[in-house]
Amino acid sequence: MSHSEGSPRRAFLRSCAAAAAGLFASGTLSRAEQLLAATGPEDPEVPNEEIARILKEISDGRPIRRGHVSLDMPLVAEDGRVVPVIIETDLPMTAENYVKAVHLIVDHNPDPHLAAFHLTAALGRVSISTRIKMKRTTWVRAIMQTSNGDVWAGYTRVLVTLNGCG
Amino acid sequence: MMTSRIGEARIRVPDRIQRGDLITVHSIVSHPMDTGFFRDAEGDPIPAYFIEHVVVTYGGDEVARFDWTSGISRDPVVSFTLRADKEAPLTMVWTDNQGAAFKQSISIGFASV
Repeated sequence: MSHSEGSPRRAFLRSCAAAAAGLFASGTLSRAEQLLAATGPEDPEVPNEEIARILKEISDGRPIRRGHVSLDMPLVAEDGRVVPVIIETDLPMTAENYVKAVHLIVDHNPDPHLAAFHLTAALGRVSISTRIKMKRTTWVRAIMQTSNGDVWAGYTRVLVTLNGCG
Repeated sequence: MMTSRIGEARIRVPDRIQRGDLITVHSIVSHPMDTGFFRDAEGDPIPAYFIEHVVVTYGGDEVARFDWTSGISRDPVVSFTLRADKEAPLTMVWTDNQGAAFKQSISIGFASV
């Protein structure tokens, strides 16, 4: 547990520093730093290759900005088999502009793109709650696409004490 | 513990609804949501078996559609909001990765004031 707790954060800090140094020095960026740059500096954790591919696919190449998305999960999940999730937003839900999709991504799960919720303005508001499985401590990402093409994200880190994926 | 049979589903909406209310719809369906990563007591792998798609219709219009993986917990629950703007049935159909479809409906009616 202590290993999986500490290393992603250290890796993140290292790559932040490396990315900053690389950008200022115009040096060659490593693959991880390219991925970080591609998904924006607000990303909480350097996405691995698979996560980067999923993010690129769902954002349609648009920048993913942090904001407007509330991803409510427990700080500590004692049972990774049942972890509650509530996703909400203050984005409009009108016929002219609405949240057309909400993607839930769990970085270190065997199948990280856990769910996609395709919505319409008929819902009136985005407030989705469900329960998910988590293999280990990781960041969870909720990504929203609006009908006019904006992509917003919310992130939260959940400490998992009992593996829920086998 | 799951005691109901696979595919048994319930939908719950508030008792008193007035036209235009934003209501919360709660739903649950019984399903093992097997990931395919576990083995049974004999050591044989348990194949992946999970709800893959959920379609929500309100008065015949599709208002939401969910694509799931086995990462959704056993006996999937999902809640969402809905603008109650007509008296009509709300129907949900859950389809699993073996092609079985499970349907449940509830009628949205307005309380007389």
